[in-house]
Amino acid sequence: MQLDLDKLRISAKEVERLTGFEVNEVFIGTILGGVYRPSLFQNSKRFTHFCITEMFMLLVTFIFALPFGFLFIRNSTNAITDFATIFKFLLIPLVITVILNISWNVYMLLKVKSTLTLAHLLDEVDKYNEIIQAVDVRDRLEAVGNLQVNALDRERVCDVLKIARNSLVYGLMTERILRENKSLLARRYDLLTNIENNLVTLRTLEINSQANEYTELLNQALQIGASVYKEIESSQRRVSH
Amino acid sequence: MNYFSTVISLLRERKEFLEEIHQGISLKTKIASLLISSSCFFAIYGAIIGAFHSPLQIISSAIKLPALYLITLLICLPTLYIFNTVFGSKQSIGQHFTFLLAAVSVIAILLCGFAPVTLFFLITVTDYHFFLLLNVSIFALTGIIGVSFLYQIMKPNADERSQTSSVSLEKDFIVQVQPATNSNSAQNVKVRTNILRFWLVLYGFVGSQLGWTLRPFFGSPEQQFELFRAREGSFFTAVFNTLINLLF
Repeated sequence: MQLDLDKLRISAKEVERLTGFEVNEVFIGTILGGVYRPSLFQNSKRFTHFCITEMFMLLVTFIFALPFGFLFIRNSTNAITDFATIFKFLLIPLVITVILNISWNVYMLLKVKSTLTLAHLLDEVDKYNEIIQAVDVRDRLEAVGNLQVNALDRERVCDVLKIARNSLVYGLMTERILRENKSLLARRYDLLTNIENNLVTLRTLEINSQANEYTELLNQALQIGASVYKEIESSQRRVSH
Repeated sequence: MNYFSTVISLLRERKEFLEEIHQGISLKTKIASLLISSSCFFAIYGAIIGAFHSPLQIISSAIKLPALYLITLLICLPTLYIFNTVFGSKQSIGQHFTFLLAAVSVIAILLCGFAPVTLFFLITVTDYHFFLLLNVSIFALTGIIGVSFLYQIMKPNADERSQTSSVSLEKDFIVQVQPATNSNSAQNVKVRTNILRFWLVLYGFVGSQLGWTLRPFFGSPEQQFELFRAREGSFFTAVFNTLINLLF
């Protein structure tokens, strides 16, 4: 990937720094105390990953709950061979496993509402990184001579991506401040103004009306900026009510 | 997200991985990934050794083997954390847990490395005592490597400094505060090294006793399936008796 594109990418480490959460494609804040991202239900690969994670959680919880099974059989020093005793031993670990996993899923269901704005912003970050990836593919095709690219168009896309990146970064920072409800409330207005300015700039950029490969990417970057602004605005309205 | 990629990065980029734990970077992701991947690797090896007896033993050993290593770790973790903290360690319990999980994951992946060998002897050998001693040797070897790995990564050194870092969204800088080292600090480092050595012995003892409690993992071919054997004797007398049986 070319250096200018690599600098535009929003990495997982940067997302962690901006949001305060360890984020992946399925969870915000990992499986330990985190919440699932609602968009996973719209993607079959992510949904499969989520289902596999649920199965792993069942296994790991059951493993750690096994010692509790010894409570029922601690007075018995004989070998455990009959199914009645085996069932007695497995009952408590199974019950603990089911209760813990149901509690975990209910906790995530209840908490997902409070992280909706962040989840939407993270989806926009994913879309943004996909655009970066698309530009990188075009660069590589051009490098092997498979594609003729207008350098000015690429430069324009990079400028737009820089603005979209700033919007996303400000959006994530604003969301974190609103979420954590710090005393830096005055700051959020500055940040919101920045996002608004970036959006205006995006809209006034002259996009080449001729159909080319970059028009779609420019439109996507524009949509990202608009989504970020809408998300922060609605989040701000929720906080003020 | 691939849980197993964390183990791969532990093996390939060990220095960076351990440095990230030391700095507390992405600890929850590491803990979740190492827990899941080590459970899977232990379960696979447990299933192989259980296959010597019966399908029920496969399921039983696939659950018991991860339970053995992970529950031993959980039992011994508070001891290590509290003693280290009392004698000057600034690492959180999360960091301690991640270091221990990293060592256990190394053991798990080493066991998986031996899985084709064990599978080969499972198919070609019918002598229960030979198969038992082969696996005791494999467990001992992987355990020694894992424990020495843990000793290397957790051993405190004289250059250890405490760090305080704070990140502000406004200014976006990190502040490090480094107090000067003194003779008390060097003394604490020596004590913590001895604590670690004592803890490794404790880990071995707790692990052996838990392993003896959870047996059988292989299943004697003359006996029907047993979830747990009668609680009698100890791990060390059993290994000694098996050696005698094999040699004479």
